[in-house]
Amino acid sequence: MTTSSAQDRADLLHKLGLDQQNKGPIGRVITTGNVEQAKEREDGTMHIRLRINPDEIAWDPAVIVMPHGGDLEIEIFNDDLNTHCALFPSNGDRKFIWLVNHSRGRAKLNLDGPGYYWFSSPTGNDEGRGLTGAIVVLGDVPPEARLDRPEQPRP
Amino acid sequence: MTVEYVDAGEAIDQGDLSGKHGDAPPVVENVTYERILDARSEPQNWLTYYGAYNGQRFSPLDQINTENVKGIGPAWIFQSGTSGMIAGASTYAFEATPIVVDGIMFVSGWDGWVWALDAKTGTEIWRYKHATPFDISLCCGNVNRGVAVAKGKVFSVTPNAHVIALDAVTGKKVWDKTYGDVRAGESATVAPLIVKNMVIVGSSGGEFGVRGHLDSFDLDSGEHLWRCYMVPKPGEPGSETWPADGQAWARGGANCWLTGTFDPETNLLYIGTGNPAPDFDGEVREGDNLFTDSIVAVDADSGQIRWHYQCTPHDVWDYDSISECILFESEGRKLLGHFDKNGYFFVVDRTNGQLVQITPFVDRIDWGNITRDGKVTPARYPDKEGDPVHFYPGPAGAKEWTHAAYSPETELFYVPIQDVGATATRRRREFKESIPYWGAGVQVDIEDMTGYVSAFDANGEEKWRWRNNLPMCASVLATAGGLVFAGTPSGEFNALDARTGELLWQFQCGSGHHSSPTTYSVDGRQYVVVPVGWGGWAEGFLPGMLGAGHGSALIAFALPEGAPSR
Repeated sequence: MTTSSAQDRADLLHKLGLDQQNKGPIGRVITTGNVEQAKEREDGTMHIRLRINPDEIAWDPAVIVMPHGGDLEIEIFNDDLNTHCALFPSNGDRKFIWLVNHSRGRAKLNLDGPGYYWFSSPTGNDEGRGLTGAIVVLGDVPPEARLDRPEQPRP
Repeated sequence: MTVEYVDAGEAIDQGDLSGKHGDAPPVVENVTYERILDARSEPQNWLTYYGAYNGQRFSPLDQINTENVKGIGPAWIFQSGTSGMIAGASTYAFEATPIVVDGIMFVSGWDGWVWALDAKTGTEIWRYKHATPFDISLCCGNVNRGVAVAKGKVFSVTPNAHVIALDAVTGKKVWDKTYGDVRAGESATVAPLIVKNMVIVGSSGGEFGVRGHLDSFDLDSGEHLWRCYMVPKPGEPGSETWPADGQAWARGGANCWLTGTFDPETNLLYIGTGNPAPDFDGEVREGDNLFTDSIVAVDADSGQIRWHYQCTPHDVWDYDSISECILFESEGRKLLGHFDKNGYFFVVDRTNGQLVQITPFVDRIDWGNITRDGKVTPARYPDKEGDPVHFYPGPAGAKEWTHAAYSPETELFYVPIQDVGATATRRRREFKESIPYWGAGVQVDIEDMTGYVSAFDANGEEKWRWRNNLPMCASVLATAGGLVFAGTPSGEFNALDARTGELLWQFQCGSGHHSSPTTYSVDGRQYVVVPVGWGGWAEGFLPGMLGAGHGSALIAFALPEGAPSR
């Protein structure tokens, strides 16, 4: 069985129980959740809200998209009835925060990209159950870092 | 009823939860170009990648020597491991050269890690982690070969092709420049080289059809000073060795993915360049393909190429010439020794690139032959679509990137050798940016392989050989204690007698060696330190060990405290 559209994909994920806890596999297959683009402020910094909903053991959104490299501020809400945490990629050192039940915190990240990075809740097997997300940085490297050659074909 | 959220505060640096963090003493503040020029007058330190600009990987330290080496043991072990998901999670390896300045060690790991350690105890002082995208193109493996230090800073490249300067006291970033395009398949693995007030770095990505380059940055400000492309554009010198039509040159490879050496008298950087792209499909790039697979002399101030010597013209075996260019003197001549992946030991006059001698250094070579006067005749190569061709040495070479050493005391070169073949089947493919561009399916032999450490004199005469049942894939280290240290893929760290090759000491480190050991002393006690952590491009140099466990330990060996040194 294959999918041919985004809705088909969502329907099949749900039908097979891949986007829920303890339906298809034991956990929820990573990054099967929502996708959201970070909002950019006038000064170029970006921000987004990130939640852990009750009994989903997943990030919402599961895929955060930054329009370009730079600073990202995340407001994190643990609405779950269990304790989790978060480990985010950032230049300098990874950022860690402990998130007891019904807590709210913040993280400031710097990512240069382009490319994508993982973040997770590194406790127990939160990562395997579904609390693994991705931060995607769009854009290109600075012009001075690009090769001196004609434009090349891409996939 | 609304329940207020518990305030979890702001995320903190993960390193703050390691129990080990602080500031390093300002030992790098006074590390200048002049000190690096005379680095071997400070035998207690290992100030630059090869120990000195000459690339000899030789230490004047002799407290640990042929008489007492059997008494050395681990003094400390530093381990990092991995957590979470990292790029190339199955390929990470510990390939660095530890740098030591007055009792403080600076070393890089995989995936953007840099650490400062107490060189006497192995205790972590600070850490820096560059966030590495999961999806960057890495050939071959999530690896880094080391850092450079000068004027209060630690310099490193990152997997996503940045060069960064860190404060050597705090580990905090001072400047950060992007010098490669990850969307084109570029990355960075090289240990930077400090020359004058410059940080010299090269690019990786030769398996993705990029155009290799060497770059210079001002070490204070990070200002980009020059870039030297190793494949000429149409009309530039050397462009006649590429097809006149099309864009083969623009995808030509020749990456400078290993640290060069430097002679202040000639003011030349001696750089080995990588394979042409596509690696195995030569028909789409007729000609010699300069300056791929070459020893290239680059003027340190201008970044201009002064001369070159091409070891494998029109390479279709993946025989990068990135191996070190060891500078030495013989009979009044300023020479350069280079053990190439193609299985030949080249000695050239480093003032002008004139060939002095060529000798094969591995038993099995059948890809072709090179005569004493440098004439290259290919014999076995993938030239027909879909037709498998077996050849020796395989694409990892008779010697991989890992380094040879030279002892001015014995006047011998010590070389880690891989005697293993491979089969390549040409499969043409269209070029697309960021997609691997090999032009063949390749399978390296998993049987009928061997390895050894050999000692050669400058005339190419083999003086002794220490045999191993597996190819030797780690750098060797020579010391004034009459020793040669060499790690094996199966985890043994060996001390050999530099004059005879006799095995004098061995320690099983628990994981294979694919790095560069160094030696230093603190408070009068000599240490030999080796990063241990199997991985990298194992499918290329030793697929028979692809299933071996990874490791990530840095192990320092020393004589027992208070032991007599002789």
